[in-house]
Amino acid sequence: MTAPGHDADERRLVEAAQRDLRRFADLYEAHFDRVYAYVMSRVRNRAAAEDVTSHVFHQALAALPRYEWRGVPFAAWLLRIASNAVNDHWQRSARERGNPAPEPVANPDTETIEHHAQLARMVRTLPADQRRVVEARFLEQKSIREIAQEMRRTEGAIKQLQFRALEALRAQMSGTHG
Amino acid sequence: MAKVSRYEQLDRAVQALLSGQERIPQHAQFAALLRVAAGLRDLPGDTFRARLKRHLQRSIEMATPTTATPRPAPAATPYLCVRGAAAAIEFYKNAFGATEIGRLTQPDGKIVHAEIEIGGAMIMLADELPEYGFLSPQTIGGVPLKIHLHFDDVDALVRQAVAAGARLTRPVKDEFYGHREGQLTDPFGYTWLVSTVKEELSFAEIERRFAELTQPPAPPKQQPAKPRARKEQSVIPYLVVGEPLAYADFLKQVFSAEETLRTTGSAGGWHIEMNFGGTKVMMGGPREGSAGITLYTATLHLYVPDADAVYHRALAAGATSYFPPVDRPYGERQAGIQDAAGNTWYIATHHGPSYIPEDMAAVNLTMHYKDADLLMEFLKNAFGAEVPFVHRSPEGTYARARIGETLLQIGETRGAVTPDSPMVLLTVEDADAAYQRALAAGAESIEKPADQPYGARRAGVKDPFGTTWYVSSPLPRRKRPRK
Repeated sequence: MTAPGHDADERRLVEAAQRDLRRFADLYEAHFDRVYAYVMSRVRNRAAAEDVTSHVFHQALAALPRYEWRGVPFAAWLLRIASNAVNDHWQRSARERGNPAPEPVANPDTETIEHHAQLARMVRTLPADQRRVVEARFLEQKSIREIAQEMRRTEGAIKQLQFRALEALRAQMSGTHG
Repeated sequence: MAKVSRYEQLDRAVQALLSGQERIPQHAQFAALLRVAAGLRDLPGDTFRARLKRHLQRSIEMATPTTATPRPAPAATPYLCVRGAAAAIEFYKNAFGATEIGRLTQPDGKIVHAEIEIGGAMIMLADELPEYGFLSPQTIGGVPLKIHLHFDDVDALVRQAVAAGARLTRPVKDEFYGHREGQLTDPFGYTWLVSTVKEELSFAEIERRFAELTQPPAPPKQQPAKPRARKEQSVIPYLVVGEPLAYADFLKQVFSAEETLRTTGSAGGWHIEMNFGGTKVMMGGPREGSAGITLYTATLHLYVPDADAVYHRALAAGATSYFPPVDRPYGERQAGIQDAAGNTWYIATHHGPSYIPEDMAAVNLTMHYKDADLLMEFLKNAFGAEVPFVHRSPEGTYARARIGETLLQIGETRGAVTPDSPMVLLTVEDADAAYQRALAAGAESIEKPADQPYGARRAGVKDPFGTTWYVSSPLPRRKRPRK
């Protein structure tokens, strides 16, 4: 997998997008999970995380022509935008609530971010039915019964898919982290 | 007896985690899995990820100077005429993740030109313009053209498209030319071949494989999947037919069933046992002449590796078609026949790792009654059935009941189908108790509990819906005095 780094491939992606903005989609694909994981770990709320992530990429798109390849990896550049966006978010919501609210979550370390980004990528490689169960259960917070009705399977079958999905993810995650 | 499976145990732990009791036990067997589960709650939703990408693309389209708008223009661009272009654009967004590039709408609301992009490929479309001879599939009555689209994950795409209203007209499967492919028909009459490239092949290689596939004599086709190891079968359908020997031959020839026992039954007729990929079905009938005997027929849902082939074999062997092979939205290809003895068979191939779905057996008894709820109630009260799955829809209720390790399907009949009156053998722990409970639940006694010479205690009841149940339990082994 591509490490957040400074390799030739990434440089090519960035420069291509700078020449033709429509290539920005490739950068988005490569960094979406990382940015989202970072933002989510700091705002701890799905709606806010989506809001802020969206903001980060729109800003990055606007600022892309000014990005210069001078030793700052593109991922770090993006996360700096993200960090500012999260700070803005806290200031804005503090203003809306009328009292200064200190940010409740400490800045996450790179390893945690990469771990979450990795997990998001792994989920996308699961077989379609396992992936659907994971999304319905953990993201949409649906009950086993609801999922079973939706997928026309028994509750037992859904529990089995859930088990398999978690096992597969655990195996893959331990494979990538020693 | 109530041993909780690890799937169930894990689910309980997941449930606790999701409901906020966060602590992950350090030594518990599931600690590692629960740590993964905890992380999953914070994952981004796929819809959000796709939506943001579209928004960004739209911003880019707008930001790109108009002089430099090299359109994504493949050598050939399909131009679709649809009845309801605005609805079609919405549909293609939901089904295929299309991005709208632009549309030209007349004051009367008619869209005279629109452009959308699906995964980098442009599609043009417009409402019907009869004055230009531009007519939709509905008006013409079909389209002799299919459009081929590539996606990263065709299975996910198909799920999304079907949810948006497309029909899956050919199931997704791996093809010899290196694609995983299926076919969708959209509500506007167009057919789309959708695929994911699994292997990049040269045309020469594809040609070679094609030749191999079409060479006479065709090599014996391998079975796509094996039947799974069976669980204990607690429910056995018992068919009583007029000509049992001929019928056994039919089952062997058409369904590749295997005869495991042929003997004389308690009433002096034939008793024959058949094995269908691990599921037992019993049958009986007179040695000669069928005058005066009561026939028992059933509806059976049978899984086979190739439903189409079995359906055609059945017709060739004299069965009547109930419905030809069709792809069901729940992942199986299915056909229906009625055999000469009066039994109805759903012949199905499940699209999955095995042609038999995980929770089903090779043969599954399907009970058709006018009122599914009453039947479920009876099965619960009389035989302690669990009902793990109920699907209610305007067409009727479909449910699955589990007795012991065996699933029964319950379908409500609406008018056309005559309810069956099958005979069923049920293995229980205590035949006397089951018999008493069945009577209390409204069944009628047809045979009091009695020890049978073959080592079982058996009783018979007829339920209020017409099914004859023989419940039996193994006799306790006699303790013999030893010297």
